[in-house]
Amino acid sequence: MDDKLVEFANLLRQNGVRVSMAESLDAMAASGLVGLAEREAFRSALRATMIKRAGELPIFEELFDLYFSGLGEIIKQAGQAVQDALSMSDQEFQKFLDQVEEMLKKQGKKLSELARQLLSNNSGQMEKMIREAARAVKLSNIERTIEENYFARALARQLGLEQVEQEIKDLREQIEKMEVGGALKAKMEEYLERRLKALQDIVRRYVRMEREKRDVKSREERQLQQLGEKSFYYLTEEELQKMNEAVARLAQRLKNVVSVRRKRYKHGRFDIKRTLRSNMECGGVPFKLRFDHRKKEKPQVVILCDVSDSVRNASRFMLQFVYALQDLYSRVRSFVFVAEIGEVTRHFREHDAAQALELALRGDIINVYSHSNFGNAFRSFVGDFIGSLNKRTTVIVLGDARNNYNLPHDWCLREIRQRAKSLIWLNPESKTTWGFGDSEMERYAPHCDTVEECRNLNQLYRVVDRLVVR
Amino acid sequence: MFSSIEEVIERFASQKYIASRRIATVVYLASALKKPILVEGPAGVGKTDLAKVLALALDHDLVRLQCYEGLDEGKALYEWEYAKQLLYTQILKDKIGEVLVGAKGLAEAVDKIASQDEVFFSQRFVLPRPLLKAITSERPVVLLIDEIDKADAEFEAFLLELLSDFQVTIPEIGTIAAKQIPLVVLTSNNAREMSDALKRRCLHLYIDFPDRAQELAIIKLKAPEASQKLADEVVGVVQSLRKLDLKKAPGISETLDWVKALTLLNVQSLDQELVNETLDTIVKYEGDVRKAQEELKDYVRRVRARRGTTAASDKDLLN
Repeated sequence: MDDKLVEFANLLRQNGVRVSMAESLDAMAASGLVGLAEREAFRSALRATMIKRAGELPIFEELFDLYFSGLGEIIKQAGQAVQDALSMSDQEFQKFLDQVEEMLKKQGKKLSELARQLLSNNSGQMEKMIREAARAVKLSNIERTIEENYFARALARQLGLEQVEQEIKDLREQIEKMEVGGALKAKMEEYLERRLKALQDIVRRYVRMEREKRDVKSREERQLQQLGEKSFYYLTEEELQKMNEAVARLAQRLKNVVSVRRKRYKHGRFDIKRTLRSNMECGGVPFKLRFDHRKKEKPQVVILCDVSDSVRNASRFMLQFVYALQDLYSRVRSFVFVAEIGEVTRHFREHDAAQALELALRGDIINVYSHSNFGNAFRSFVGDFIGSLNKRTTVIVLGDARNNYNLPHDWCLREIRQRAKSLIWLNPESKTTWGFGDSEMERYAPHCDTVEECRNLNQLYRVVDRLVVR
Repeated sequence: MFSSIEEVIERFASQKYIASRRIATVVYLASALKKPILVEGPAGVGKTDLAKVLALALDHDLVRLQCYEGLDEGKALYEWEYAKQLLYTQILKDKIGEVLVGAKGLAEAVDKIASQDEVFFSQRFVLPRPLLKAITSERPVVLLIDEIDKADAEFEAFLLELLSDFQVTIPEIGTIAAKQIPLVVLTSNNAREMSDALKRRCLHLYIDFPDRAQELAIIKLKAPEASQKLADEVVGVVQSLRKLDLKKAPGISETLDWVKALTLLNVQSLDQELVNETLDTIVKYEGDVRKAQEELKDYVRRVRARRGTTAASDKDLLN
């Protein structure tokens, strides 16, 4: 059993779950205590000792099912399928099996081990034999779909499937000659036929299952990686869904990093007043030192997000990102603009993400069908909201800077930059197109601390990392 | 200690706690392997209760340490009472003088004082906090470290030492080893990820919201005064609320509060108006309340569609 547990731990590791040496030892001790008789208890024991993150539970459940019931379950299912095909009840089937047994004895022919177990429906023995064969052909090395056929053939050869086929063929011929009732004869023939099919089926499914075991995680990861490199512009509905999840995860990561960083400088300067006060009980001898707590600098963020038609898809994600950010910090003010600018902070605070995005993009707050006019939007921001900026505010502008040849009013950005701590511009357009046509990026860029191209999730990741590290 | 999983379930049930097999297995393993349990899950599913009931079931004392940001050794383990020590030495000045009578020279006086060291540095001046209490207790103890995720990462690292060796070093006195190994239960609401080192030392238990049947059984056990019909309805509503994307989904404790409140109001069966009035017992945020009301309206509409128009009023529809 210990061997199997070690192998299972390895399997978990291959699928990205970290299982330490100590944990697999715990698992062994635990499984020794609860025993194997009861499947659920065994499962709970392994779950409690090997899986320490709620997020990893689904992987565990899937692998546990694949690994610990996999082959046995397949064999059982195959047996059941045969029984169903013959349309017999459990009792009838048992009786029928006895008849088959008797018939085999009468034939007096020496059958191979596998054929005997197969025909007497002994799933335990069969499982053991198939496992041994699998070990001999090193089935655990399987990785790719294209290897399935090769391994299926190798396993069949190792098992001696050809011999079983031959034996069953012989048996059928003999049954043909036997003098028993027509109905029973037909049943027996069908049984043999189906049994053989079932065995082939088992081998095939077992190989596939082994391959799937090693594939669960890598598949998902590959997909996310690809998604990360895809531009915001070309996404299907389903991919949008995936992307939303990724952004949520990103926000979670941001949260973790922030909480760790916030802790580091907890103590400020030495606080004489409080030290004296709290040491009065010791006669004024300063046994306990007191420090003032450094005031936590709560990040203040103001976000201006372009929601014009040209950046529609991108802005959806940017807004999703804004929403996550607003969830994270208490002092985030969010604005959307096309030709005019409008504040959406309150809407984002009160509604859930999907609703909030809908609200921002629907046109209740500002007219989203007009032509973008960055100059005008910035000017009205400076006119109405410049007072909300101070030396602790980070301003983030999300937009492509395509101004439709309107007045750029880049002095507004200079004004904003002077008031704020820093100004960051994230542009969903490719860097090479900046400054061409009606793009005013070249004019705006000098006023910003950071200008980044942000077309896909990986770039967003990078930007976030840089923002947080500062 | 427990001898089998069944015994855990049984003894918990006698303390009015319905433990699923999953929970019972972990509790049994923890008591057999002497390992701490790290319990995670949404708020209000009975994580803290698990420890309390465990203490009752085993007839152990419960020592509880509530974690919060800024919790340090002084509050969790022990504090050295300088003030008391100082007071003692001042009061006993004369006695100290007597001890020193006859000492020739400074060196001899210091030696004499030093021979009395254990009087000044003794357990007497240690103010035990929960962790030290748990370790030094004569009787077996269940130690509950509640909401460990709220404490700082440094505190977590400090806990590691305690959890692996069950001994603490007090510089003034020396090392104190545990008289018995306490059964430790840590709970976490997942405000942040625990370190791998801590997780590795613990058995992990994830408690999720109970399913319908389980929740009904819990209500029956904890609030037996509620009518079967009311319990049925309440569980139906709560279960459907949990499917919503709420800021805080109602836990078991909220369900129980609600049932108790409704029984107190002498309600036999829910209706739309009553639900709206008492909704704040189970849903705690303004935005959530609005969403919940929306959902309940839908719920009623769905039931109505299913039943046709036979039901006379909203009252019957919530069932």
